[in-house]
Amino acid sequence: MRVYMEFAVKKFQNRLTYRLEFFMGIINTIITVVVFCSIYKALYAGTDSVDGITFQMVATNFVISLGLSNAFSFDEMFLQNKLHDGNITSELLKPVNFKFRMLWENIGEGVFKIIFYFVPAVVFCSFFMELSAPKDAVSVVLMGMSVILGYFVLWQISFIVQTWCFWLFSVWGIMTIKNVIVNILAGSMIPIWFMPPLLRKVVSYTPFEAIYFTPIRIYLGELTGSEILYSMTIQIFWIMVLYLIGDFFWKKGIRKLVVQGG
Amino acid sequence: MIEVKNVKKYYKIAEREKGIIASFKHLFSRKYKVKKAVDDISFSIKEGEIVGFIGPNGAGKSTTIKMLSGILYPDAGEVMIDGFIPYKQRKEYVKNIGVVFGQKSQLNWDLPLIESFELLKYIYKIPEEKYQKNLKKFTELLDMQEFINQPVRQLSLGQRMRGDIVAALLHSPKIVFFDEPTIGLDVVAKEKIRNFIRYMNETEKTTMIFTTHDMQDIEKVCNRLIIIDKGTKIYDGGVEEIKNKYVSSKNIQMLLEDGTKENYAFNVNEVSMNVVMEKLFSRFSIKDISIQEPEIDEIIRDIYEGGISA
Ligand SMILES: Nc1ncnc2c1ncn2[C@@H]1O[C@H](COP(=O)(O)OP(=O)(O)O)[C@@H](O)[C@H]1O
Ligand SMILES: [Mg+2]
Repeated sequence: MRVYMEFAVKKFQNRLTYRLEFFMGIINTIITVVVFCSIYKALYAGTDSVDGITFQMVATNFVISLGLSNAFSFDEMFLQNKLHDGNITSELLKPVNFKFRMLWENIGEGVFKIIFYFVPAVVFCSFFMELSAPKDAVSVVLMGMSVILGYFVLWQISFIVQTWCFWLFSVWGIMTIKNVIVNILAGSMIPIWFMPPLLRKVVSYTPFEAIYFTPIRIYLGELTGSEILYSMTIQIFWIMVLYLIGDFFWKKGIRKLVVQGG
Repeated sequence: MIEVKNVKKYYKIAEREKGIIASFKHLFSRKYKVKKAVDDISFSIKEGEIVGFIGPNGAGKSTTIKMLSGILYPDAGEVMIDGFIPYKQRKEYVKNIGVVFGQKSQLNWDLPLIESFELLKYIYKIPEEKYQKNLKKFTELLDMQEFINQPVRQLSLGQRMRGDIVAALLHSPKIVFFDEPTIGLDVVAKEKIRNFIRYMNETEKTTMIFTTHDMQDIEKVCNRLIIIDKGTKIYDGGVEEIKNKYVSSKNIQMLLEDGTKENYAFNVNEVSMNVVMEKLFSRFSIKDISIQEPEIDEIIRDIYEGGISA
């Protein structure tokens, strides 16, 4: 465990060395927030709520999913780059679990982004819009747990796509498509509330709802006791299913690598 | 310690023909060409030995090292190292070995060298005391104090290579594989690395395999030499024998005042350099002169022609 935490710490330090990228990240977050606010303020001009969803809820959904998508974003070309530059070999020569190592590096990066991108953005937002407070302290804790589960769901999805680099020359295209799908279906761009009912029904059978939307609904108090338990179970279910799929591709890929020599 | 029996590795290379139609065909049926990278190699190495692997580019040196270090399955044959079958028991096995690939780096590009070492301390669970002791010893031997706090991307090739070598040895592995650790380095850096490897072998009794295509590396570091060419072993024996025959043979190239070139080949064991030089100077008016030792390719050609046998 200790060694994996070290990977996270090193990644965090790594990020600190690129100062320009760091300031660009903050500016990027702020621009996104400003653009979003202008659009939804215009949409909500003259009305308090659309379909029972208030501007405040939409804004809160937006800020939280922005923060989460910051924390949940990572170097998705990691495996492919390791494979292309041949450094995958030195990874295989280490007595560590490569998947955990990747996961923890990503966590290190996520923590970095929360501290340096998300927190400044929330502070900035709170100057010109009112955000919903959480229902109570318990919701915050439950949301925290659900966020971590949501992270694992998204991470597994990304990992599965990453492992396809063993067979494809580049996963960049598929990764982009995956990201568009996640952005639309997971509710970070357009809140799931506004989806056509049929689409929403379909999404509820996919892992996408379990990424951002479950924690946000817990935060806003939309889910009650047993519903929370249920949706967290769904999250865990997806983590396990996706893990098995990812592991299947990973083992096949490594097998291909050690047999064919890359 | 290391037993290699009839090991083979054939790479399948997809053949591509030019043109659109061929590309479409390629989608459905693929033709493969087989590249025999390692073709039936056997050898055994005892504990504490330091063996040089020499051969021209593409001879199969890296492929052999990859099979020995467990990241490549052989297509046939057996490898047994320190009680492990490397490619079958990779996760356990790699704790006992260190590998340096001269063409690649395992160091973290953005962090100071020392940070990469710190991480290795956790990866291999090296006790703090041993870690500090090794780090101190290695950095002194390789003269690294100056740049150990610099980010790796700012290091020169020679400095980075020294970093990679330390990284592979921090956990005191029993066996170390070096794949062209001196490639592209200048004479001073090469010398430092050779001395260090020699020292580690002598003091720690570490078993080592060292690949190169520089005959001088072998001469200075190894006692035993394996020459491979086109995936097969063509010589396995002492360094001295090869050295007497080849490293002592010199080729002198002269550019004369009138613009013509002259060559003179001889063996320093038979005639001394002094005598040769005196003769040449008295016979020719020389504008420029250079002295060459035979390249590995020439040695290999000679072995094929029966000049020396394994
Ligand atoms: N992954 C690979 N796929 C196909 N051919 C390869 C691969 N790796 C090496 N080869 C080929 O195998 C031969 C031996 O390569 P290598 O072991 O790298 O030689 P060396 O290290 O002695 O220069 C070369 O002809 C090389 O082109
Ligand atoms: Mg090589």
